[in-house]
Amino acid sequence: MNTYKFEELSVGMSESFNVTITEEMLLKFRDITGDVNPLHNDTEFAVSKGHPGRVAFGMLTASFLSTLAGVYIPGERSLIQQVETKFANPVYIGDELTIKGEITELIDSVQRLELKVTITNQNGKKVLRGKMQILVV
Amino acid sequence: MTREEVFETLTEIFQDVFDDDEIELTDATTADDIEDWDSLEQINLVVACEKKFNVKFDMKEIQALKNVGEMVDTILAKL
Repeated sequence: MNTYKFEELSVGMSESFNVTITEEMLLKFRDITGDVNPLHNDTEFAVSKGHPGRVAFGMLTASFLSTLAGVYIPGERSLIQQVETKFANPVYIGDELTIKGEITELIDSVQRLELKVTITNQNGKKVLRGKMQILVV
Repeated sequence: MTREEVFETLTEIFQDVFDDDEIELTDATTADDIEDWDSLEQINLVVACEKKFNVKFDMKEIQALKNVGEMVDTILAKL
């Protein structure tokens, strides 16, 4: 886990990590949230809607933003305040995602950073983009 | 910038941050008067003020602010 202090951070700094989406992740997410929507749980239904298979929950994909802030940038001192996300493209089981955050702004007075976040799949296609405001405490 | 102009701009900032065009400020307005004025929005207000007025606050100043009037005076002193 990274342990960046506010004064060690600078605009342009970035961190990234990779995750492969598994069927087990979808099952666990469904059990935790109770989201039984068939797009995520029924292959036949998902295919009938034009997808090659079940679509991963958008919020499952977004959940890796928690890891990005809490483990990578800034890491241990992270306190997430705001998250804005756009789900640009669907994510499927087996997709290999790269979760990346780049510091675009540092506010000294409140020790807060803004992170531009992108999640791309194995084909380099953005599946999520957004912004996070994170306090460094 | 006059005190009235700072007040007017600050009102616009509050309306933008709280997404509420009905907000009207007085010198005595505090967090108790605006439902969503919590610690998160306090930080958003500070950041918005710094950007709009091109000023910098420090943590002590922020913590010492008791109401909108003090906020206006603190901004004015920095312009």
